[in-house]
Amino acid sequence: MPVDHKRINAPESAVPYKLFTKLNTESLKEQYQKAIRDGIRVDGRKPSEHRKIFLKTGIVAHAKGSAYIEQGNTKVVTSVFDPREIPNRTDYCLKGEIYCEFKFAPFSCPKRRLHQQDSQEKECSAIMKKALEAVVCREEFPNFQVDVYALVLHNDGSALSAAVTAAGVALASAGIPMFDIITSSTLAIQGEHSLFDPNFREELLSEIAIEKEHGVVILCVTSTHQQISHFHQTGNLQLNTITQSIDTLHNTCKEIVPVVQKCLVKSVLSVISES
Amino acid sequence: MLILSSEKTDNPARIERTYYLISENIRIDGREREDYRPMEIETDVVSHAFGSSRLRLANTDVLVAVKIEVDAPYPERPLEGKLEFFVDCSANATPEFEGRGGEELAVELSNCLSSAYRSEEVFNLKKLCIMKGRKCWKLYVDILLLEVGGNLFDAVSIAVKAALWNTQIPKIKSINVDGSNIDIQVCDDIFSCTKLDVTGAPLMVTVCKIGDKCIVDPNAAEEQCSVGAVVVAVSRGNICTISQTGTGSFHPDTFKSCLILGISVAQRLEDSLTETLGEIKANQDVGFLK
Amino acid sequence: MPQKIQMRLASNRVDTSVVINRDIPAIYTPGQIISNQNEFLRGHGTYEENGQLKASVAGVREKVDILISVRPLKSRYHGKVGDVVVGRIIEVQQKRWKVNTNSILDSVLLISSVNLPGGELRRRSAEDEHMMRKYLQEGDLISAEVQSVYSDGSLSLHTRSLKYGKLGQGVLVKVFPSLIKISKTHFHNLSIGVSLILGTNGFIWICPIINNTEENVGGFVQNLEEVVPKSIRATMARIRNCILALAQSKVMLFDSSITYAYEESTKYTLAELLLPEVMADVALSTQQKLILSETE
Repeated sequence: MPVDHKRINAPESAVPYKLFTKLNTESLKEQYQKAIRDGIRVDGRKPSEHRKIFLKTGIVAHAKGSAYIEQGNTKVVTSVFDPREIPNRTDYCLKGEIYCEFKFAPFSCPKRRLHQQDSQEKECSAIMKKALEAVVCREEFPNFQVDVYALVLHNDGSALSAAVTAAGVALASAGIPMFDIITSSTLAIQGEHSLFDPNFREELLSEIAIEKEHGVVILCVTSTHQQISHFHQTGNLQLNTITQSIDTLHNTCKEIVPVVQKCLVKSVLSVISES
Repeated sequence: MLILSSEKTDNPARIERTYYLISENIRIDGREREDYRPMEIETDVVSHAFGSSRLRLANTDVLVAVKIEVDAPYPERPLEGKLEFFVDCSANATPEFEGRGGEELAVELSNCLSSAYRSEEVFNLKKLCIMKGRKCWKLYVDILLLEVGGNLFDAVSIAVKAALWNTQIPKIKSINVDGSNIDIQVCDDIFSCTKLDVTGAPLMVTVCKIGDKCIVDPNAAEEQCSVGAVVVAVSRGNICTISQTGTGSFHPDTFKSCLILGISVAQRLEDSLTETLGEIKANQDVGFLK
Repeated sequence: MPQKIQMRLASNRVDTSVVINRDIPAIYTPGQIISNQNEFLRGHGTYEENGQLKASVAGVREKVDILISVRPLKSRYHGKVGDVVVGRIIEVQQKRWKVNTNSILDSVLLISSVNLPGGELRRRSAEDEHMMRKYLQEGDLISAEVQSVYSDGSLSLHTRSLKYGKLGQGVLVKVFPSLIKISKTHFHNLSIGVSLILGTNGFIWICPIINNTEENVGGFVQNLEEVVPKSIRATMARIRNCILALAQSKVMLFDSSITYAYEESTKYTLAELLLPEVMADVALSTQQKLILSETE
């Protein structure tokens, strides 16, 4: 693990104090039962209920386009910068590229994050890149790349989905030509419980095998073409569960589309009224 | 596609691509869509490792070695051992890997492997615990790409499974706890080792979309022509990770049919691998340098 | 019904050598003295030191009168004027294309050495230069002839004949250039409905036979719509696998060796042709057939 010498890092062996609290002495099963009681989740939602979304464009003045998303407690800032020539590239490539950087702020999770990208953040960046490349008209800027940065200020679950949705809005508000609007949604499965738009705790618990079937599914969909631009799953699930979750997640993603559209229209209207 | 998109000399033009578009169920090398190329496997090739394997699938060549060390468990998971994957894209494989060229691919591969092995249903890390919260075994799985000729994910997952199958974990004779010092005594007898349980270890199948058809085991040229691929990691008939490579998008129905194809192919792979590993006799000649 | 997946142990590897009781000629290694006499001309793969001729590559000696050269098995392609080559466009530059022909340096195809659409005697205008990417793009395959060899060894190509030009739908197979036997023609229309271009640079192009040659002006017209029927695809795949089988066992490639291999392969299914033992068997029986036909 390369160490960043320019900053003063926290002691490496430090551990969040929450591990020693009472909560951690309970078995995982008890913890999960607490998280969902009689079909109602801790924050009072039904399993199939999505959290409320707040979307706003133009919050980073220097960027070509930017968006801020709030999905429950999850808060993500995304920004898009002007296309520039791909560095360190000599040959001609017909399609432009998208460079994504996904980062958790050091204080965004229960455990402190380092300033350098760790492997999880790199994986999220790669997923974002693949999801976005499918919706951007890349042949319009050959040999150029567009930089997209996503910074998670508060991670309360489904951070990657929120980042993808927001990045789509940021790209659109930056005037980058796009085929479609992209929305994304997460599903956490444990046994027969399928929780839409999980919060941090639910996401964490679904990654651990309490029941035989468990896992986290992320789906990114383009709205009018009805295409899956990216699909990612971890855990251990049967084929049936996955095909069902594709259908239900697809519907959830559709429900987010009006929010995105409204936000984009609003940002245009606000510019008009200013002038 | 996968990585070598910038490899100048081997980028098939559109006209050739139309030929690759498989309208009939026959590919350029005569295979059907669901056919695999023959492969060659061997285990126990690295004497300094606790388990190792080498797999050659047409032009793809992968060497996997497992090293075991004693470590302290993660504080949040005191009962579990550790398993880590490192992929090394050697510049021997292709000059593009020189410097940091292969880093993106290496990260993609190792992330895919570690998320496939993360579930307890797939690979039980609790067996690697020596003493709760204090000591555990840590498995380093080092994957070396010697040659890249398409279908890396499948090849790597098969080689990793074979290497873990081959891995021997030393037996612990006694543990002495003296305050914060822990003294572990390991059996001297090199033959008294325990084997890992790898029945659930996942196999990954890359289902590649060319035109409107899906194929498995694409060769390098087919990978270049494809618009996108789904990597399905299958363990005991269940899916433990799905990931996508390339930039294409899928219709939900195509996507589902890819998953079904992936599961059925993984089952066939599993059968062949079990059969082949069963044929291995002790102390037989290794063919690495033959 | 899909085939069973073939997985074998490395200890059961198949020997692919097909050498049958033939004298193996002396093989020289780099630095080894070939000749002490002063009467020689230095050829490829050799260097001169203290009046002695030494090999610079590992391979067999070839002697033509007093010209001594060493020919390695594996090498990049050494171009000669008049050779037929198959190459891939790797770069579009001003007034010329860079072509990968498997030779030591990249080859060039000047815009003045191609037949542009609309007649042979046309001036190359500045517009043509702007349209270059429209004629040939990065990744396109062409067949061409070597026009001249520059002093640094790089090749200049030309396509000023109707038989050369851009290639359409088909399969490219790469083998060592030394396995291609130089013969009168490198364009073959096999009776089984497949057309072959055996590029002397080791690139072999397999495609269905095209009949309408009169439409083919300068070879820049391609038919992308036409779907290759399944039977032709199967034959092309079989030819491809046969060539790879022969190349693996280092059998020389020319029209009759490929036809023999095709005939020998018919007893196997297409998928079986990928198995190493089947490939070795095809190569072996082809070799025997070739020796028989030589002695007759």
